[in-house]
Amino acid sequence: MADSPVTLDDLTGLLERPVREIEEALHQLGSRYDANGPIQVVRLAGGYQLATKPAYSRLVASFLKPQKKKLSQSMLEVLAIVAYQQPITSAEIDAVRGVQSDYGLSSLIERRLVKEVGRKATPGRPILYGTTQHFLHQFNLNSLEELPELQVDQQALPGFELETLGETPSDPEEKTGPRAVVVTSESS
Amino acid sequence: MSSRTDLIPAGEISPLGLFEPPELVVECEAYTGTLSTLFLLVKQHKVDLLGVPLAPICEAYLLYLIQRAGDDLEAAATALAALAYLLERKSFLLLPAPEIDDEPEVWEDPPEPYVHEFAEVIHQLSRRWDERDEVFFRPQSGAAQYELPFEIREVSSSQLAFVLERLLKRAKPDLIQPLGRPRRSLSEQMELVMDSMTEDWRTLDQVVVGEFTRSEAVWWFLALLELIRLSKVCVKIEEDEIFFAAGGTV
Repeated sequence: MADSPVTLDDLTGLLERPVREIEEALHQLGSRYDANGPIQVVRLAGGYQLATKPAYSRLVASFLKPQKKKLSQSMLEVLAIVAYQQPITSAEIDAVRGVQSDYGLSSLIERRLVKEVGRKATPGRPILYGTTQHFLHQFNLNSLEELPELQVDQQALPGFELETLGETPSDPEEKTGPRAVVVTSESS
Repeated sequence: MSSRTDLIPAGEISPLGLFEPPELVVECEAYTGTLSTLFLLVKQHKVDLLGVPLAPICEAYLLYLIQRAGDDLEAAATALAALAYLLERKSFLLLPAPEIDDEPEVWEDPPEPYVHEFAEVIHQLSRRWDERDEVFFRPQSGAAQYELPFEIREVSSSQLAFVLERLLKRAKPDLIQPLGRPRRSLSEQMELVMDSMTEDWRTLDQVVVGEFTRSEAVWWFLALLELIRLSKVCVKIEEDEIFFAAGGTV
């Protein structure tokens, strides 16, 4: 029983059978396990692996005593940005979030969910980050294409408008000259 | 020797410091008065320095230096400082002013997608993370993902603690050692313990022979516990006595 997902390439190389035949066999094996017993065949991180069924989770957990590690909201935020925008630099993550993300990023690297994938060809050659195979495994994804679809708003920051320096005041009697930049809530 | 503040009565400190500059009177369209007052008014932005010609003042100061500088060096130095300040300010004012850009400031849009747009996918990822906790895989070799139970037969932890207590009673107190004393690593200690173990069942008193200190006893016992956890050492209890043997012994 493999301790990591086995790819179709591995299986075809090992069994010397055509891919189609192996896929069929995996499908049959999966159906058989689905019908009976506590084991299932799962497809994730680009391969196939045997795992216990969720229905038996409490029983197995009481035996294995897994180390539960929750991801904080900030770590999830950084992870989502890396997953959808990869390869991405630390500064670019900070720009999207509006706050520093160094701690969250280093924690994700420590948990093997994010890794360095290269350097950006810009001054300073900042490190580019991307997700790992372990990320796919932990989130039960076969590939990055299976990530939930990101709904991008077409309207920027709804409910707010920006008033900029030097803008012509709407009230003609209002004093001209330098004014502070303010963000005002849109009147309903 | 008196300090400089002692030389001038309280309340008579000039705007230029402790010493009044010489009475150089300035007369022009923009200002009429002494150098000292001019300095003060310029600092307070009450006089337009561009309207005050500084060259005649400098000439008057040079004349003063030639004629009476020896009388009061402190006053001459104060006047020099005041003139230097005025020259610097006027030079700065004469520099061309930077053009004010009438164009409204261009706001750089935050990178898209905005962070709030990730909220839904973060929620979904979080749910997937929780769901993943309900599925178990074979742990990867070397990764301590799960705490697998190990066999210590019917021996309880309190009985093992009793063995340690008995070992500590035999131990001698530790001698005071200088800091930085090299100590065996746990893996080195485990090798030592394994060398002492045989396949025959023996009590700990029979395994650990000779003299040892309390620290060595604790270190020895920790290594033993780790070997039990790794199933390299077996433990059993017979007639209230605990026996140990190298792993594989039935």
